[in-house]
Amino acid sequence: MTVKVGDELPTFTRETGFANWNRYAAVNDEFVPIHMDDAAGEAAGNGGAFGMGNLQWAYLHNMLRSWVGENGEILSIEVQFRSPNVKGQTVTAKGVVTAVDGDVISLDVWTEQQEGVKLAPGSAKVKLGK
Amino acid sequence: MMASLPFRQQEFQEEQMTQTYLTDVVRNAVGTECSRTVSYPIEASAIRRWALAVYWPEPAPQVFMDAEYAPEDFDPFAWGPASYESLLEGDDGSVVVRHGINERALGFPEWKFRAGLNGGMNCTYGVRMHVGDVITDVKSVGEYTERQGRNGLMLITQSISTWTNQQGELVKRTVNAGIRY
Repeated sequence: MTVKVGDELPTFTRETGFANWNRYAAVNDEFVPIHMDDAAGEAAGNGGAFGMGNLQWAYLHNMLRSWVGENGEILSIEVQFRSPNVKGQTVTAKGVVTAVDGDVISLDVWTEQQEGVKLAPGSAKVKLGK
Repeated sequence: MMASLPFRQQEFQEEQMTQTYLTDVVRNAVGTECSRTVSYPIEASAIRRWALAVYWPEPAPQVFMDAEYAPEDFDPFAWGPASYESLLEGDDGSVVVRHGINERALGFPEWKFRAGLNGGMNCTYGVRMHVGDVITDVKSVGEYTERQGRNGLMLITQSISTWTNQQGELVKRTVNAGIRY
């Protein structure tokens, strides 16, 4: 695969809500009231329960992993959690190539909700599988 | 003007202007290794369950159902470690801190915050995690900084988590950022 700056990665999209968050809580022991209970989420100023930052993190990894292939590598990734993932949002993980240096590819990555508001922007470096 | 404010409000504003979180104890702690946590051997079923959760409702990739290796974001400490040891003098390790660091055991001030946020993560990966691997996590104190924001003085903290496998190979190094005010 020939990669150039500006290339967009295939996206990873999920409808989000308790069905996703409860499953993630079950594997990551993340039964935190703000993710489980609307009253707790509202008390925290988010209008209701909201999803885990770690699950946004996982969705970004899913997108990158699919793109680099089984023999590829995610070398590094960093994100900031800017906006909560609230119930009913359609969350999409996206990425765009910002630099190509030999076999190391730099990317801007982020998750966004259905209106294009970024929830977790960041960057990553990967190597594509042979 | 300060002089025109009611007394209590003036007192509060002065407190906000002079307050700092970054005492000498906090500044001197940067780089301190705080704890060593060892996982149970990674099980194939744990990898499968993790993958099913993060890909739901679509199927997880077959490589994870076969448990050839774990997703990079897999946490082998999620449901408790095999052992936890504090590396801080005078700390008996009775308080297990899964995320972040044990600020009380470090002797940090007992701050009172109204809110805490997960600021983000920065992770560099090494070798993959496989079934049977035993992962060791050493947590250390990263940079502590502060910044004036619309909610008052914010404390921005970093905790650093370094994972190695039973062969001493780096699995990943994660810097977690927290914001409190």
